[in-house]
Amino acid sequence: MNKEASNSTYVVETEALTKRFGERTVVRGVALRVPRGSAFGYLGPNGAGKTTLIRMLLGLTPASSGSMHLLGHPVPAERAQALARVGAIVEEPRFHGHLTGRENLGIAAAARDSAATSRIDASLERVGLTARADDRVRTYSLGMRQRLGIARCLIADPELLILDEPMNGLDPAGIQDFRAFVRSFVDEGGTIVLSSHLLDEVERTCDHVAIVDHGAIVAQGSIAELRGTGLVLYVEADDRERARAVLAASTDVERIVDDGNVLAVSILEPHVVPDLNRRLVEAGINVLRLEPQQASLEQRFLEITTRLEDAA
Amino acid sequence: MTALALPISRLVGADLLKLRRSISLNVVTAFLTIGAIVITITIMELLHLANPDAHGPVGGIRDLGHFAALVGLLGAVAAAIVGARVGAGDMDAGAYRDLVVTGRSRLSLYLSRFAGGAAFLLPFVAVAYTIAAASSVALAGSNTAPDTRLLALTGLWAVLDVMFFFVLAVAISVAFGTGSYAIGVLLALRLAVMPIVVSISALGIVRELMPVAAIESITPAAFGEAARMGPHIPMSTGAVAAVLVAWATLAVAFAGWRDVTRDA
Repeated sequence: MNKEASNSTYVVETEALTKRFGERTVVRGVALRVPRGSAFGYLGPNGAGKTTLIRMLLGLTPASSGSMHLLGHPVPAERAQALARVGAIVEEPRFHGHLTGRENLGIAAAARDSAATSRIDASLERVGLTARADDRVRTYSLGMRQRLGIARCLIADPELLILDEPMNGLDPAGIQDFRAFVRSFVDEGGTIVLSSHLLDEVERTCDHVAIVDHGAIVAQGSIAELRGTGLVLYVEADDRERARAVLAASTDVERIVDDGNVLAVSILEPHVVPDLNRRLVEAGINVLRLEPQQASLEQRFLEITTRLEDAA
Repeated sequence: MTALALPISRLVGADLLKLRRSISLNVVTAFLTIGAIVITITIMELLHLANPDAHGPVGGIRDLGHFAALVGLLGAVAAAIVGARVGAGDMDAGAYRDLVVTGRSRLSLYLSRFAGGAAFLLPFVAVAYTIAAASSVALAGSNTAPDTRLLALTGLWAVLDVMFFFVLAVAISVAFGTGSYAIGVLLALRLAVMPIVVSISALGIVRELMPVAAIESITPAAFGEAARMGPHIPMSTGAVAAVLVAWATLAVAFAGWRDVTRDA
């Protein structure tokens, strides 16, 4: 029994999804849940298996094992129905350079339902390419090709956009435009899955995230959940090693990461900062800097991946 | 059936657009088909006008055979180029995956390329043959002009020759996933491997399995040696059909399987 697309809470659901290339396992037992109406970041370092997972979802390569649902449809069994309302860019958007932007969209529209052709003008307008729509794509910059790639997704009138490293090649203005596009698409009820290795960008653009490392999801949830309520206390002292030992002895300290000249100390509550300062001073350590900050996704990512490396 | 046919017709239009908008492809195809026949007829007519005793009239049945052979040979080269372009154009451009992610079945994407490519190539071949046929009648002079039946039969024969190699070109390019190798392989098959195999009489029945032998064996008899480019191996119409259909079916089926199952 298929779940109805309109009723499914998650637009992407995978269970124990695995992809092997010979002896090498690239995606390991991934259970991904992408909530409807979210901007979802699929975050991981290069080579973590992000693109391979996207390729499996889109039917570009078969899974070795596990199951997938897109918009409530099992794939690959109901791939056509599922992908009819999905727009996707895998790696970088590619086009026929000898055709115009509008003609390239026409080709993509021919592969979709007949209404797709009527959405070409609106899609071009939305990504700001109307003025260049009748120029050959070979004259487009990389940023313009990225925008044309988005326009190609939009002609499907998608419920879900799956974008693989969409910020590649965008200049700062293009990145800002892209962030605005993501917000407006989500505000209109759409869902975006955005794979990236840029933690800062995912944190700015997305509201949910899955962190993937070595092909496996190591954490997923809302950005706020993953960040946690924890703080990071940046400590700079004249004797970093002794300072580290003193702080490590405190039960209020969760973890210490030596970040060059600064110790990044994970703490749960801000009120422990004076106590930690007192301990350092009483130990005869000169404190040069003591700065509490809300933990960023990057710190959580480093904590999680460092913990995994320690455990390995 | 209508639901299936209508979307495929849009895909065919899209494939045709990719070819029509390529200036270089239009120039090369026009040169190999229309240009080649116009240049050949022009040179022959100039030679005839300059020295009618040494060079007879350009038209007539015999020269129709020459023209048809030329349309078939260079048409096959054009077919290799067009077939490779339409078969692997999306893959060469890196745009194939963007069509696959639309959810459209890979089989319909695959089949539409044959129709789109044929829609592009056929008019060039038709115009080239029409010029050849018209010249063979209009410039016949003292030679016997071909009748309508022979003109029609010869046209079908030339189109069969070209379109057979077009189908192979599409299939080979899809199987390889790139057009450049496919052009090389097909030209090697058409211009070297198959003629060599056909010319080795010791190979016996193996020679009959070569499409060039099959196509040559159904050359309209009225041409005699005029349209022949290799040894004549007599074959029944059934055997000719079996050889051509077997080659085309195997190539199309293998390439289709490869296209549907490959990582996009």
